[in-house]
Amino acid sequence: MDMNVSTVSGMSVITLNGRFDAFEAPPLIKWFEDNVTKDQAHVVVDLGGVGFLDSAALASLVKGMKRCRERGGDLVICNLQQAVRIIFELTGLNRAFTIAETREAALNAF
Amino acid sequence: MVYHNYEHWKTTPNTGEPFLSIVIPAYNEEIRIVPTIGAIASHVSDLGFQWELIIADDGSKDSTVKITQELGFVNMRVLVAEKNGGKGSAVRRGMLAARGKYVLFADADNSTPIEEVNKMIAKLDEEGYDVAVGSRAAEGASEGKKSLMRHILSGGLRAIVRYGLRIKVRDTQCGFKMYTREAARKLHTAQTIDGFSFDLEVLYLAFKLGYRVAEVPVSWIDAPGSKVNARKEVQRFIKDIFRILSNDLKGVYTQRLAADAHSDSLHVPA
Repeated sequence: MDMNVSTVSGMSVITLNGRFDAFEAPPLIKWFEDNVTKDQAHVVVDLGGVGFLDSAALASLVKGMKRCRERGGDLVICNLQQAVRIIFELTGLNRAFTIAETREAALNAF
Repeated sequence: MVYHNYEHWKTTPNTGEPFLSIVIPAYNEEIRIVPTIGAIASHVSDLGFQWELIIADDGSKDSTVKITQELGFVNMRVLVAEKNGGKGSAVRRGMLAARGKYVLFADADNSTPIEEVNKMIAKLDEEGYDVAVGSRAAEGASEGKKSLMRHILSGGLRAIVRYGLRIKVRDTQCGFKMYTREAARKLHTAQTIDGFSFDLEVLYLAFKLGYRVAEVPVSWIDAPGSKVNARKEVQRFIKDIFRILSNDLKGVYTQRLAADAHSDSLHVPA
């Protein structure tokens, strides 16, 4: 999986591409630990390039969301492919996350 | 991709024979199985035919049965096993319960992405094969994150299988295989091995019975959380090769197939 981080309007945007599973979750968790602070707690995760994610990947996103919220921000996910959207629904996590249709909508969600 | 197709599949019962049954054997898969079901349901519901999903529990001690039953999909059945009988026993129960024209079994970790099913369907439905074997060794296949141990083991085992059992596919163990329902029924009725090397026996029988078998290159990812104890399984695998040859010499398969054919004839309507 590829992971790219950029800054848009002062917010971090993480773009993921490929299969997102337990092998790929640790670098994302580390990124949240190293970079989410009280001054930088708004994060967008763009999953447009992800066709499948497993439970470890979901857990890493939950960790990231918690860390953002504990520091006064939030984690918004966007651009979900149909399979990923269904996985969020089946696990009930669609109710826990703020999910935006597009990256622009995600950036405006804060 | 059309979300409506998925919603229709999960709420509207099939009418008549489904085109495809997908069997997922599951033993303590509460962590991994729901994302896999989601990926399968999303992809296959878009393919334009009726299909069913069968979760063949293998006596799970965790909440695999509960969480899959609670999904409440009308075209998904959960076959509950009282005790753990081995992957082969779970696959057999699923295969024999399948109602589809074609039957695929796929592992619970989505290690072979479900999108590969399209190639398997083409082999059976367009080219007339009876069995399509997903293969990590065929030309065009790709293997992601395979450990060195797995490389060594699979290479050695492939050689033993090829020369010992004369099975003409290079990868017998990939958990992604499709059969016509008739082939699935015969092969899994004759199957005697309930452990991980059941694939070997089923493929041995497929060649013995003269089925047309295609080896289909698929991508495969060594998904985390595998429950296979490699060393133990290799020992059992080699033992099972001798068991298959011995069964054949003793006529075990012939007897099982004859008994099945007899029970079929008893059920033919007058």
